[in-house]
Amino acid sequence: MNIIFILIGISLLVAVTFLGVFLWAVRSGQYEDDYTPSVRVLFEDEE
Amino acid sequence: MPTTAPAIHTHVACTHCGDECPDEPIIFAEQPFCCQGCQAVYELLNANNLCTYYRLDERPGQKVKAVELPGRFDYLDQESVQAQLLAFRSDTLAKLTLTIPQMHCTSCIWLLENLHKLNPGVSESRVNFLRKELTVSYLPSQTSLKEVVKLLAAVGYEPQITLAELGAQPHHGNRALYYKLGLAGFCFGNVMLLAFPDYLSFTEQLQVEFGRFFGYLSLVLALPVLLVSARGFYESAWQGLRQRYINLDFPISLGLTALFLTSLFDILTHRGPGYLDSFTGLVFFMLIGKWVQQRTYDALHFDRDFTSYFPVAVTLLTKGGEKSVSVKDLQVGNRILVRNQEVIPADAMLMRGTGQIDYSFVSGESVPVAKLTGEVVYAGGRQVGEAVELEVVREVSQGYLTQLWNNPAFQKAEKQTLETYADKVGRYFVAVTLVLALGSILYWYPKDPHMAMRAFTSVLVIACPCALSLATPFAMGAALRVFGRLKFYLKNSAVVETLGRADTIVFDKTGTLTDTHRSEVRYVGLPLQLEETQLIAALVQQSTHPLSQRLAKELGSNKLSVANYFEVPGQGLRGVVAGREVKVGSAAFVGAETQPREGPKASADTRQSRVYMAVDGKALGCFAFYNVYREHMQEVLQTLGKRYHLAILSGDNNTEQERLRELFGSKAELRFWQSPQDKLDYVAALRQQGRTVIMVGDGLNDAGALRQADAGIALTDTLSNFSPACDAILDASSFGQFATFLRFSQDCLQVVLATFILSFGYNGIGLGLAVQGKFTPIVSAILMPISSLSVMLFATLLVRLAAYRNKL
Repeated sequence: MNIIFILIGISLLVAVTFLGVFLWAVRSGQYEDDYTPSVRVLFEDEE
Repeated sequence: MPTTAPAIHTHVACTHCGDECPDEPIIFAEQPFCCQGCQAVYELLNANNLCTYYRLDERPGQKVKAVELPGRFDYLDQESVQAQLLAFRSDTLAKLTLTIPQMHCTSCIWLLENLHKLNPGVSESRVNFLRKELTVSYLPSQTSLKEVVKLLAAVGYEPQITLAELGAQPHHGNRALYYKLGLAGFCFGNVMLLAFPDYLSFTEQLQVEFGRFFGYLSLVLALPVLLVSARGFYESAWQGLRQRYINLDFPISLGLTALFLTSLFDILTHRGPGYLDSFTGLVFFMLIGKWVQQRTYDALHFDRDFTSYFPVAVTLLTKGGEKSVSVKDLQVGNRILVRNQEVIPADAMLMRGTGQIDYSFVSGESVPVAKLTGEVVYAGGRQVGEAVELEVVREVSQGYLTQLWNNPAFQKAEKQTLETYADKVGRYFVAVTLVLALGSILYWYPKDPHMAMRAFTSVLVIACPCALSLATPFAMGAALRVFGRLKFYLKNSAVVETLGRADTIVFDKTGTLTDTHRSEVRYVGLPLQLEETQLIAALVQQSTHPLSQRLAKELGSNKLSVANYFEVPGQGLRGVVAGREVKVGSAAFVGAETQPREGPKASADTRQSRVYMAVDGKALGCFAFYNVYREHMQEVLQTLGKRYHLAILSGDNNTEQERLRELFGSKAELRFWQSPQDKLDYVAALRQQGRTVIMVGDGLNDAGALRQADAGIALTDTLSNFSPACDAILDASSFGQFATFLRFSQDCLQVVLATFILSFGYNGIGLGLAVQGKFTPIVSAILMPISSLSVMLFATLLVRLAAYRNKL
């Protein structure tokens, strides 16, 4: 059953990665405004 | 008679702003426009291939104010102003964030993000729609801050640059909350995973083998939750304690501490797995509550600082010439120049020029007041007409409005209204919890000392009023969203409570009950011929004076040209139209006899404003402008009169007493000739009597009373550029629903109370188990999340239901 230790270690590692990604997303300002991008993506490029 | 309703025309909507065009619209590129301003914007956008603007959303444009002053944005070239406004600056790039209250639709976002097409010096512009902010980066080598702001103003999105904005840091929202929430969520998920073997009987074997490892691991995971995520609750509880005040965060902190310490003890002494899954879960759920609250607040941007109304810089006249200085640096004795449409920054004496001061900002009175040399003009007024020279007699901080603002009554008022239901309940909660906890110790100790400890901590744990703390943000958040949709913007959720509890409503008259933009125009005098009407209409069209514009709207437009046009500020206009000399203005100016006023006392205090006219030196008569009450006022007042004590405070004379008495009913209190201080005192007196007062007013003039009241509501026609010191802003178009809003607030209070009962129910079950010592980690793990989640759901749904029932 020692495999449990390794499995839990791996699952934690994955979870920590996701936490890291979330913290990065907050840091880069992605949660500042969650409305405008939804509109922006629909604008057509006219160049 | 020209004043009878004009024949019904089929009006065309202006291509830019969507307003009705005059009878003969300006045609440009085969599109109709209502005014030069709108046409100019269209021309600019069309030339730059930006007409997608008009296709993305309906009626996106804003009417552009006709007044353009050459030196209006000159202060932006000042080094000190730039240093305060720019968030980042180097030789190659400058970046700043501007507040643009006018943005309201998809088209706005599109145009503002395409600024680089209009000015190649702009390298990037990004909109934050919810905050109504635009972040612009530009190349200082190619353009300047002034150019950028000028461009924005030219397309109808003039940014709001105010004193309050200077020195304010570009905020990063509240990122801390996201960090805490993310961390708590992460820890909660993993701790729950580790606690899973406890929940199920068939995993008992696993628990025996790995229990200790799981315990330590969840302890490690719970630590950051305690130290980082839950910190806010401890801080708030501590702050409350320091002010000798127990708020809801106190029992929460107590419960969390008990929960953590018990778990720590259990795990370290190998007694059991502890309650760490409940602990992390609770913190996570409560942070969600905080997040909901914050999101609701973010959508409502409130500015309580009066300095935000005042200009950033003024033109100082020195021996060396004109100099632009910051308002903060103004000193007594300084000579300043105030141009057309500029706000007077400080109380000052008029030295040169004719003052035409528009105090609509302060008193809600739309008619400018004429001031002569040597008279004192007060801060907050706006000069209309020629540039005037003023000498500052009082510094900005000592101005009349500031005095009103700094009245100690305001500060007191704030604390009292802050006491919300939740906090009040929280205090009793603590007392009951402590009594119960001590009681269970006393009961168990003689029989089983170990059980006594267990029961004691269990009581503290289960009494953690987390469901209670979630009820208010969720119920009130839902309520604020309903209100926001209907253009009733509340400062925070405490205002809903106050509105629901209020028993007295005080109204201000001018600008609040009366609609200054729709004032009724009546003609008195010799009958007017159609030709004369047209002559007058052509003349008044030339002027930007509010009464002229109102009259122009009344008389309709035509294309007669005017020669020798001349406007004497404060007196009137004259010009030659179709070969005839036309004069419009005060009685003295046109050489007419003053028409007798109606009513006994309607002399000096102008209930009605009058404009006289003469053609070829022959006086014809005058137009009188009457106050008109807002639409739906009668219904609203009738409904309110049944449930509330009503009062009206008017700065005007009492000529309309009878009319108001009829509207307000016999029980209402009517007061006239009220100064701002009187209004404030009256509201204060009502509160002394133990009444909960809602004050409905507008402008800065009744700001004192607005703040003094438990809930101050500003009724305004122009939401975008007006945010006075108040607890709520009501768009004038929603005034008809005011009575329903109040009833809905009451319903929301009921909802909160109902959720409290629900949450007490959970606490009761938990407490029952706890005092018996049967409160195990599994019970906790089931009961806690269920209570939190069901309270959130219950609160939101009930508020929706209440809104539906009130047809909101």
